[in-house]
Amino acid sequence: MVGKAEPVNGSVKSGSNQSIPATMQSPLKKSDLIPNLSLKTLKLKTKQQELLIRVSILCLVYVLAFITRLFSVLRYESMIHEFDPYFNYRTTLFLTEKGFYEFWNWFDSESWYPLGRIIGGTLYPGLMVTAAIIYWLLRFLRFAIHIREVCVLTAPFFASNTTLVAYFFGKEVWDSGAGLVAAALIAICPGYISRSVAGSYDNEGVAIFALLLTFYLFVKAVNTGSLAWALASAFAYFYMVSAWGGYVFIINLIPLYVLVLLITGRYSMRLYVAYNSMYVLGMLLAMQIRFVGFQHVQSGEHMAAMGVFFLLQVFFFLDWVKHLLSDTKLFQAFLRITVTTAIGVGAIALGVGMASGYISPWTGRFYSLLDPTYAKDHIPIIASVSEHQPTAWSSFMFDFHILLFLFPAVCLISAIAVSATIKNLTLVARAKSKVTQTGSVRGSSSSKGSSKASLDQSQPFQRNGAIALLLGAFYLLSKYATHCTWVTSEAYSSPSIVLAARGAHGNRVIFDDYREAYFWLRKNTPPDAKVMSWWDYGYQITAMGNRTVIVDNNTWNNTHIATVGRAMSSYEDEAYEIMRSLDVDYVLVVFGGVTGYSSDDINKFLWMVRIGGGVFPVIKEPDYLVNGEYRVDKGAAPKMLNCLMYKLSYYRFGELTTEYGKPPGYDRARGVEIGNKDIKLEYLEEAFTTSNWIVRIYKVKPPNNRW
Amino acid sequence: MRSKPETQSLTAATEPPSSTSMDPIFHLLRILPFGFLRPPKLRLKLPTLTLPSPMTVYALVLLTYFMVVSGIVYDVIVEPPGIGSTQDRATGSVRPVVFLPGRVNGQYIVEGLSSGFMFVLGGVGVVLMDLALDRNRTKSVKVSYATAGIASVVIAYMMSMLFIRIKIPAYLR
Repeated sequence: MVGKAEPVNGSVKSGSNQSIPATMQSPLKKSDLIPNLSLKTLKLKTKQQELLIRVSILCLVYVLAFITRLFSVLRYESMIHEFDPYFNYRTTLFLTEKGFYEFWNWFDSESWYPLGRIIGGTLYPGLMVTAAIIYWLLRFLRFAIHIREVCVLTAPFFASNTTLVAYFFGKEVWDSGAGLVAAALIAICPGYISRSVAGSYDNEGVAIFALLLTFYLFVKAVNTGSLAWALASAFAYFYMVSAWGGYVFIINLIPLYVLVLLITGRYSMRLYVAYNSMYVLGMLLAMQIRFVGFQHVQSGEHMAAMGVFFLLQVFFFLDWVKHLLSDTKLFQAFLRITVTTAIGVGAIALGVGMASGYISPWTGRFYSLLDPTYAKDHIPIIASVSEHQPTAWSSFMFDFHILLFLFPAVCLISAIAVSATIKNLTLVARAKSKVTQTGSVRGSSSSKGSSKASLDQSQPFQRNGAIALLLGAFYLLSKYATHCTWVTSEAYSSPSIVLAARGAHGNRVIFDDYREAYFWLRKNTPPDAKVMSWWDYGYQITAMGNRTVIVDNNTWNNTHIATVGRAMSSYEDEAYEIMRSLDVDYVLVVFGGVTGYSSDDINKFLWMVRIGGGVFPVIKEPDYLVNGEYRVDKGAAPKMLNCLMYKLSYYRFGELTTEYGKPPGYDRARGVEIGNKDIKLEYLEEAFTTSNWIVRIYKVKPPNNRW
Repeated sequence: MRSKPETQSLTAATEPPSSTSMDPIFHLLRILPFGFLRPPKLRLKLPTLTLPSPMTVYALVLLTYFMVVSGIVYDVIVEPPGIGSTQDRATGSVRPVVFLPGRVNGQYIVEGLSSGFMFVLGGVGVVLMDLALDRNRTKSVKVSYATAGIASVVIAYMMSMLFIRIKIPAYLR
């Protein structure tokens, strides 16, 4: 670890500051009976000044992190965004209404009809419990706030808390200046904002806070060797496990960190205490979450932590034996035997575990880290999730801006680079000005003055150069802040459920079709109606429409989703058979042809074909393509022109003129005139189409009477 | 992977004399095949494992960073062309297109590599600036480091801004 720079200037300043008010303060206080707050009575010591500056900066950063995430609340309204947060909102609502035990043992028959879903055992409760606790706390203080407001603002609140943890982390690794810069950088970093904007009530909002907290507490435990910090990090790990499935990254990163420490020769008793306590207690606590279960001892992804655990025991054992033995040659032999045996036993145990199937191999999600093309070739449903798409350089630039330059400078926290560079520059810049003021400084500080004087002779333009560099650094940081605010405002603050566009005269047009359709479902269908749609919309239909769905965003059952995909891609009569077998009453499709909305079901249709074709070989992707190209106009494949999805999206669309100068039936999202305009539906009838034709609901007709 | 306990090194290990060895397998082998077989005198040495120097590790980290930030994962999965092409409507000739237009989350390979290079250049520039402030170097070296560092950062920043403005015309407007 590099040594920390002492605040040399601070001690020089304290000499000059302390001496002046000491002589002048006492007569002023005695004679001034009127509470006249002149500046001299407010003169604080340097330590207090520094504390005041630090605390005020932290307060400003805390407030900044919160308010920069509020764009969508100000522009639209306080509502939940996207798809997954609607499930979290529904479960939180259930938790606050029915209590924790009902929530923990909840079996939901309203999703994945007819299978149902064991919600209590298949979710990460951290987020919901956190929001419920905040809600109950506010209720206890007699603030009658609706749970939705609490849910919307949970993520920005925890983002502010993350900046505090980042400050302490920076302070632990370097010094408080680096901590402040770290807190400021993390407060507005667009990569973080995109997952924790107000309304994005998703696991990551809370989990990133828990992640940083776990890392900070573990590093503190390794530095101090205290059992208390190690146990605190175990509890932070438990919070992380309860909040997000990404806890697997922590349970692999912390052993990796310990391994690197061991390799570089930094084994010590502190490390032993810290990792052992954290691993054992953390593992036991993590098993309390039903969704995680026994994965810590059974899953291949968690074996690295166990391996490092045993390795640490071997290190400790060898250290103890070395302490007992006095003969080095004997110890060398013993060392080689022990290491060989340990590795052999470990390898045999791992092999037996994996061969017998007790230790499961890496799941597809994490295997994609080793082989990125794995999901594309083998598991289309993982490849189709938009959050799993690979990152191009512009996305890196978008999300990180100048942090990309600072990362190589110090490989861990770019704040260290900024802080150290700025500190060095200010040191150089201050040196000049301090030397010129040595005349007024008392004798105790003259020694410091002389050391600065030696720097005096080196370069005449060094001070100007340092000031120029400082200005350059501030310019870069201000550009970073501008970029982050712009990105947040333009790209990451849209609630996907409400769409906005620029009208013909530049005014803003809002499309609230999704909520219109779900409200119609809620009010105009029988309570036990089952709705079939693509899995993207499942959570929203259950939360806002309050109806049973066939598949939803949990995507835990690939065959069920493939059944729906097959139904959507078959001809109407085959699809009717499938829908009758699933008891479907209503079908919901999303169509963007009138508004030009590009994330509609026709654009997602190929994924339905791929996923359906993955389970039912009767669905073949080339049937829907023409020369490898996906088209919906006259030249489209005949199977495409007559499949259920096509019919439901374009029913009655052929009569509609969507754009001036274009023929009727012009699809604005694809930019072509559709091929099959005369669509007749035999087994379904249109129930509802929203005002901008974005969501279309069809009713499945009961079978005809026999005679 | 074999771990290294901190106080031991394999170079210091010597073969204990056969009389004081406590390895049972060694004694077994001494009797059974090597009682009548005579092993030849080889001049082989076990390869010694030493930790790489910090600069080597840093160079590797920088290389990995360059590859990640150039979007190599995207290139491997999506397999875009190295450089795009568009056909000029008037003349019919094929013109190359360097930046994939319109989307933030797509790139061509060469575009990714050049932007990644700019980011690494900026990072190296910051490191050079920090080195230039170190007191224990001669003045000329410090001046050259400082100039190189400042030039690198300025160039990298301006080029990155230019690239992103070409790619996303609506940037910061």
